[in-house]
This record gives sequence, C-alpha cells and structure tokens, in this order.
Amino acid sequence: MLSQLHPLPKMALCLIWIGASVLVFDLRFQVMTLTLAFGLLWGVERVALWKLLALMVPFALFGFGFLTTSVLFNKESGFALQMAQEQAMTSPDFSPGLVLFARALACGMVSALFALTTDPGQLVRALMVHLRLPASVGFALMQAMHLVPDLGREVQVLRMARAMRLGKPVRRMPGPREGMAVSIPLLAFAIRRASRAAVAMEARGLRPGQPRSQMQTQPFQKADWVFLGLGVAFLGLVIRVL
Amino acid sequence: MSEAVRCEGVAVRYLFATRDAVGPLTLHVAQGERVLLLGPSGCGKSTLLHSLTGLIPTAIPGDRRGGLHLFGQAVESRRPADWADRVAMLFQDADQTLAGFTVADEIAFALENRALSPAVMVARVEKAMAQTGLPTDWKGRRISTLSGGQKQLVALAALLAQGADLVVADEPTASLAPGAAKGVADLLLAPGKTVLIVDHRLGPILDLIDRVVVLGRCGRPLVEGPPGAVFASHGATLAEQGIWTPLATRLRLALAGQGVEVPAVLQVGELVPHLPRGLDLAPMLMPAPCPPGPEILRLHQADCAPPFGPVVLRDVSLALRAGEVLGILGPNGAGKSTLAACLAGLIPPRKGRREGPSGAIAFQNAEAHFSADSVQAECLAMGVPGAKVAALLADWGLAQVAGQHPFTLSMGQKRRLALALLTATDRWPVLVLDEPTAGLDHAGTTGVARHIRRLAASGKALAVITHDADFALSVCDRVIVLAHGGVQASGPARAVLRDVALLSRVGLAPPEAAPLLDWMETQERIAC
Repeated sequence: MLSQLHPLPKMALCLIWIGASVLVFDLRFQVMTLTLAFGLLWGVERVALWKLLALMVPFALFGFGFLTTSVLFNKESGFALQMAQEQAMTSPDFSPGLVLFARALACGMVSALFALTTDPGQLVRALMVHLRLPASVGFALMQAMHLVPDLGREVQVLRMARAMRLGKPVRRMPGPREGMAVSIPLLAFAIRRASRAAVAMEARGLRPGQPRSQMQTQPFQKADWVFLGLGVAFLGLVIRVL
Repeated sequence: MSEAVRCEGVAVRYLFATRDAVGPLTLHVAQGERVLLLGPSGCGKSTLLHSLTGLIPTAIPGDRRGGLHLFGQAVESRRPADWADRVAMLFQDADQTLAGFTVADEIAFALENRALSPAVMVARVEKAMAQTGLPTDWKGRRISTLSGGQKQLVALAALLAQGADLVVADEPTASLAPGAAKGVADLLLAPGKTVLIVDHRLGPILDLIDRVVVLGRCGRPLVEGPPGAVFASHGATLAEQGIWTPLATRLRLALAGQGVEVPAVLQVGELVPHLPRGLDLAPMLMPAPCPPGPEILRLHQADCAPPFGPVVLRDVSLALRAGEVLGILGPNGAGKSTLAACLAGLIPPRKGRREGPSGAIAFQNAEAHFSADSVQAECLAMGVPGAKVAALLADWGLAQVAGQHPFTLSMGQKRRLALALLTATDRWPVLVLDEPTAGLDHAGTTGVARHIRRLAASGKALAVITHDADFALSVCDRVIVLAHGGVQASGPARAVLRDVALLSRVGLAPPEAAPLLDWMETQERIAC
C-alpha cells in the first residue's frame, strides 16, 4: 500500500516524524514511533522480520553507544546528557541514554519505512520534476545506484584474484589489509565507469540546463495528501497526549 | 545520394600522446549506406567513432585535426549532445553506459533529452521493445537485474527508439551469445539504414554490409570497398595485419598455401562445393588430437552459486584431465563464470564436492590480476625469478612493454600478461580462462589459441569459457553446454557444435565452420 504512494509526500511525512523524534526527548514517543513504523513495515508491507532486524543493526549499534555511555560513564557524559535532557518536550522519567537509544532506532525504522516502500528511480524522477533537481544530478544519482551492485561484483573478482595470488581461500568477510588492497583498483574501476557513463549520456543528448520531458511521472493522488494529512494529524495528537 | 559523414584528413591525438591515435584519414558515408570499419586492436576505430559527434575533444581530452561534417554541417558547429537528434551511438559495453533506472527509463532517455511528448515516447518505447523482442512486462524492470546480454538488447532498443538518421555502433555484438548477436545485427543493419559499425565478429554482419573500410596498424586507411572485393583481393594483407577476415577467406588462403585453389567467396557454405575430395580440413579447424592424461579435477554433483547469491547451476558432474582443453559454452547468464570459480576452487560448491588441486582463473577483466606498478614488477611479485622475467615477457610478446604500468596496456596485451602471470609458475595445474578472446583482433585471438594449446601440451588442464563457437572448435577437445541451470550437453567439440537443435534450443548458434564439419563427415562416410 505504502509503495503506491507518491515519494515526495511520503518523504515529507517521514522527515517530519524524524524531526519530531529528534525534538521530543521522551522514551514513550520514541517507542511509539518505532512501533508504528515497524508495524507498517511488518504488518502492512509484509517486509520479512529478519530483514527489518538486520537493517536495525547499525542504528542499534549507534544507539547502544549512547546507552553504554549513559550507564557506564554517567559522570563523564553528564554534560552531554544534560544538554539532551534540556531539549523541548522532555520527559524526565527515563534514563537519557535509553531515550537516545530508542531515538536512534526510531529514526532508523522511519528511514527504513521510506527506503523499503519507495522506488529509487521514481524518487529521483519526482525530485527532478517537482523540486527542480538538475537532470545531470538526477542521472548521476541513478548511475550511483547502478554502481553499487557492480562494485559488489568487481570486489568479488578482485578478492578472488588476490586470493589466487596469495594461494589462500577467499575469506567470507574481507580483513582490513584485503580491504586496502582492493580499494585502489576498485576506485580506478569506479572512476573509469563513471567517465564512460558520462560520455554515453552526453552522446545521447543529456545537456545540463536544457529543458527535457519525462515519459512517465507518478502523478499526485488524493491518497497521497490524505496520507500526509493523517500522518501529521496523528503526530500532533500523539505529542498532545504525551 | 547525399552524404551522412564526411571526414577529410581527420586525425585524432590524445592528450600527452606522442603520435596520432587514428588518421589522417578520409572517409565518406552516404545516407542509406552500411559501412563496416575494420582494423587491428588499437588502430583507433573507437577513437574515430568518438570524434564523429565531437565527443573528442569536448568530453574526452584530445586534439582533432582535419574537416569533419555530418549531414553537410561541421561537427563543431553543435555540441556533442545536440547531435543526438540525428546520430545514435551504441557503445561496446552497455553494462557501463546505461543511464536509466528501469528498462523503460533507459529506452526513453534520449527521447526525454529531446523533450518529446510523453505520448510519442510511449509509442516509440513500445515499438522498440517489440522490435528487439523485449517482453512488455520488462518496462518497469530494474536495469541492474539484467544480464550483460540483456543490457545490450536494452541499449539496442534505446538506439532504435531514438530513430536517428545515422547509427554509430562500436562492437555491438561483442558481449552477446551468437543467437542474440545475429538478431541484433539484423535489426541494426536493416536495409535503408545509415550505419557506421565497428565489429570484430564478422559472421552475423557480413551479408548486411555495403562497404568495408579497413584501417592499418598505424590508424590510416589500408583498403576499402565492397566486402567481397576487399576480402578477395586483400585477404592476405589483412591477415598479415592481424585483422579479422571471414573464415572462408582464411581457409582460401590456407588452402592456397597447400596449392589448392578455391574461389574467393565470403561464406563458408559457398566454398564447400569447390573443396577437392580427400582434402584434410581437420588441422585447419581443430586441435590435433592428443591422448588424455590422468584426471586431475572432478566436480561431483556440485551445486554452484556466486558468493552470497542463489544457486545458478545444479548437479554438475564433470572431470578435467591433464592436457585437456574443455570448452564451456552457454547463453548470457547461464552461470559460466560461477562454474569457472567452482572449477578453480575459489568458491566451494554449495552442495556436492570438488576433488583436485586449486586452480586459477584468467578473469574477463584482466586488470583484476594486476597489483604492481609495472609489467616487470608483476612478474616478480608472482614469484618469477628476476633472471627469467625477460624470457617470459618475450615469450608472450610483451618484452617492449616491460617497464609500462599494466593498466596502460592494450586489451590484448593485458590478457596476455594475465595469462603469462598465471602460467609462469607451476602453482596451478588447472587454468580457467573466462572469455579470453573478447575484443581481440585476429592476431590476438590466434596468439591466445596458440598459447592455450601449448599450455595443454605441457600437461595443464584448461577450461575455456567462450561465446565464440569457432574459437571453441579450434582449441577445445571437449565442450559442455550450460543452460537452464545445468549441463545440457557434454562431448567432443566437433560433435556437440554440430548439434544444431541443441544449440538453437539454448540460444546459441553453430560455428561458422559448421558446413565444413558436415562436409568432413560426408567425406569420412564415403571413405568408409
């Protein structure tokens, strides 16, 4: 359902919720935001649980830093935590570290909600059409999105070639030395690929600053504005109740 | 007939280069004419194509001299991007030159740049998809989910949708399986189109070309004219320069060396009626049979999958013997490279087992093998004793580039260096070569073939992944055909490559030499 919505109102709503999550220093609000975003992804969009948990790992690690700092080094981090507590809409009932931990997860889950329900190509097109993102920047973003899986494949080849040279099996995860060894050829690959793509796009008529049309743009629907309105209204209600 | 392209004394020199990459040359292409630009690797064919619409020097630094006109208008009077309304370019490596996010995005890209109306674009995109046989439900499919061959088809659809007056194509069939290559050539070179094409693979395009322009090693015109006349009169000169010629021409020249005269024709099929009875063609087409050595590698009911990816080949059982060359054929995306990694022992099978010593792969991207800052240093890093480096490089024709950075070598030189490094020591008794001839000229290809047979004779077991059925026939003792997630056929190269039904079922085409194999079979039957 969320995948059918226009990317821009959806992005606006997600940014508003993330903004609120940053401003409201209340564990209940963070948990509510997290639960809501999780519920929409798991219950409505049917995203696999393992995928959601895996996506939350970096946010949890980030938030865990606040938590451990708050619990283990309470004295040393007192000033920072006090600053955080003195924000607007603060509820003093919970440990600040716990609130910051929940905030990291809540912001991560809302970001995941947007990323997992939005077609990146449609988003870039919408940005080009409605927010005047220059076409050269838009197509550069699309190229970057193409580049990610290509870089992954190239890394595998480089790692296999290195393992062959060293007479060792390919490790499941690369170590720091291996990472360093493949980074230069990988960078060379990325630069060469980007140059070729730029030449090809120019050959096919992409001119910065020139008008261009769009074959297919996702139109705004009534549902997009209803979704945005309901989302903002619900946020207001939650803040008011808390 | 009015002119589409007029080059008068055009020469192009890259920044910091000491000599011209191509030219000076004079070239005219009339509207409605289909011209093939032929030449050895590194003679500047792609450079010329890039300078046609001014990409050199505008987007790629360099210096162009001489007069260049498109449709009577000086090229420099417009920006390269402005020419997109009249000139469509198809690049060699679609993988790196696609712009859109989905198939429909990609096909409409050039049309959007011309600010055409959505209705016109939708109609053109649908027509182009139908022409190229792309399923209609692929419109929203992400480009990144397509195989290399499928991307090339999408690039072709984008080019057809552009509806330009002149098509410029740089090796458009290089990464395609033979069946797909023929289809692409038919669409690209349909009668009435104005096309300037560079391609090493002559088989699918030869009948569709009006004129051939041949550049020599120095990037200057060597000869030009209708294909029949050029290959009939100058076949030997072209072969000397290492330029691809049709198999019929190469065979005619080889037979002439044996004192057998046959007429100058372009297609092998036309040559067959003129072959004298009792002629032994086998040495010209296939490797000399050699007794198989001991088995050194075996895959037993193996399921092969790329790292972190799904299983692409199931239940593969095959063995490799010392001194044997195994050809691995299959359509794009059949899992050939994954099998290569399993054969070499770099990726363990998900199921089943692999028995045998570790092997090495010569990757399609030869640059993956290089880690030092000179050719010489690469050899030393691989463990070659200093005193033997010069001899090794001379053996692979790389002595003159010993001090160069490996990344600055030509495609053929990079491939040879990668092979030289992998075979310089006895570390790997098993070698897998992934598309070793892609993009090479005739001299480069025959050089690689010669080295493959030499390595086999030295007792190594080799597997060669290739799209080129004629190359497979010329170097492989045995071939397997991969498709539909498994091994579809396995047997002597000559037998498998004559199985037209099998090849067409998996999207491959028989070798150009197929009529000769049939003729040999008939002769053998008569002799019996």
